[in-house]
Amino acid sequence: MAERGVGDRPEHLTPVPTPETVPDAGLLLASVARGDEKAFGKLYDLVTPRVYGLVRRVLRDPAQAEEVAQEVLVEIWRNAARWDPDRGSATAWIFMIAHRRAVDRVRAEQAAGDRAARVAAASVDTPYDEVADEVAVRLERQQVRHCLDALTEVQRQAVTLAFYQGHSYPQVSELLRVPLPTVKSRMRDGLIRLRDCLTPEVAA
Amino acid sequence: MTDVHSLIGAYVLDALDDIDRATFDRHLRDCEVCRQEADELFEVTARLADGAWSVPPPRLRDNVLAEISTIRQLPPTMVARPQPRSRRGMRLVAAAAALVTAAGAAVAVYTVQDQRVRDAQSRLEAAQASEARVRSILGAPDVQTRSETLKSGGRVTVSSSRLQNAGVIMLTADSAPAAGSVYQMWTIRSGAPASAGALREGQSAAVQVVEGLPAVSNVGVTIEKAPESATPTAPLDALVNLA
Repeated sequence: MAERGVGDRPEHLTPVPTPETVPDAGLLLASVARGDEKAFGKLYDLVTPRVYGLVRRVLRDPAQAEEVAQEVLVEIWRNAARWDPDRGSATAWIFMIAHRRAVDRVRAEQAAGDRAARVAAASVDTPYDEVADEVAVRLERQQVRHCLDALTEVQRQAVTLAFYQGHSYPQVSELLRVPLPTVKSRMRDGLIRLRDCLTPEVAA
Repeated sequence: MTDVHSLIGAYVLDALDDIDRATFDRHLRDCEVCRQEADELFEVTARLADGAWSVPPPRLRDNVLAEISTIRQLPPTMVARPQPRSRRGMRLVAAAAALVTAAGAAVAVYTVQDQRVRDAQSRLEAAQASEARVRSILGAPDVQTRSETLKSGGRVTVSSSRLQNAGVIMLTADSAPAAGSVYQMWTIRSGAPASAGALREGQSAAVQVVEGLPAVSNVGVTIEKAPESATPTAPLDALVNLA
């Protein structure tokens, strides 16, 4: 807890360390912020499978995913100096950008009207357990899976439908046939529960 | 009764529409504790992202590295503080917050930044008038919405109604341009651009009513030298096609 003040982010919320001896995304991103292209290459290798995986998961279409992943990675380069380590880990910042870009693409398509109906129809037919299972199976991290399982049904579905499928909260409300305010609070509660579950034991 | 803060989960999951997102961004700017909560929850979603691995096409690496070698990096964001400036261009007063009401979500409490006490009342009236106009446009039965991402990061959404013969431009940038630069919005009619107003320095979100918008073919966004430019400077940061 050394340098962090009482009002600061609690220690247990600092980025979860990666066990393997892989390069540290934060150090790399800090170098990238100073224009280090070599560091960017390393950062690319470190995060791109996850960036691409996430974007592809949301968009489904591999060609679009590739396009959006490229936008995301270029944005990381452009904006690297704007990452604030005091506010969060490098990976959180990177995936935040990736997820937002992917969802923006989904929304743009829906606004253009060529996908909304299809997506809605297809999603309604998707059994939710299947969705959650599919998510869970792909989750390599046992802990994340375990923590998702610890959520209530509606919490888990609200979180995964929004995060992995890019549904807006009114869409989630429609899909789950749960009122809007309930969806909002389940999303928040679900994330808070995940946070608490994913948190390593706080050292006494 | 909507408590803006209750949207935090949906915000972190990117499950908000542009209007709610702009509102929430504004809420975060004014609330340190909320920012911390959002930051914590983004760490959680990063863990969810961890699970989604997929091998990218090999050419992606070359493409990205080639592209970044031609792209200038942005400077760090300076601490944004409200700057008393002349109000040329437009009167933009917490309009994003005002939109909460437009979206049918109860009363928004909004703060009016960099506002001197003596003209507080007139600004407030302007904001209320503008809010009512925004509501009437967005509530029109024939309203059409188009949206584009900003190259600099963020989004511009244009809603237009022929019945109202007006439209609303909503700009939500991820961050304000570098010091000395501002976002400026343009309407393009028969190939001729006209300014639809410029944001102030340090400002990254705006909602602007444009009367007669349905006659326009495109809405563009550029980054210009503060306070605003007479003509748009290439390249366009975004171009929304309304035709």
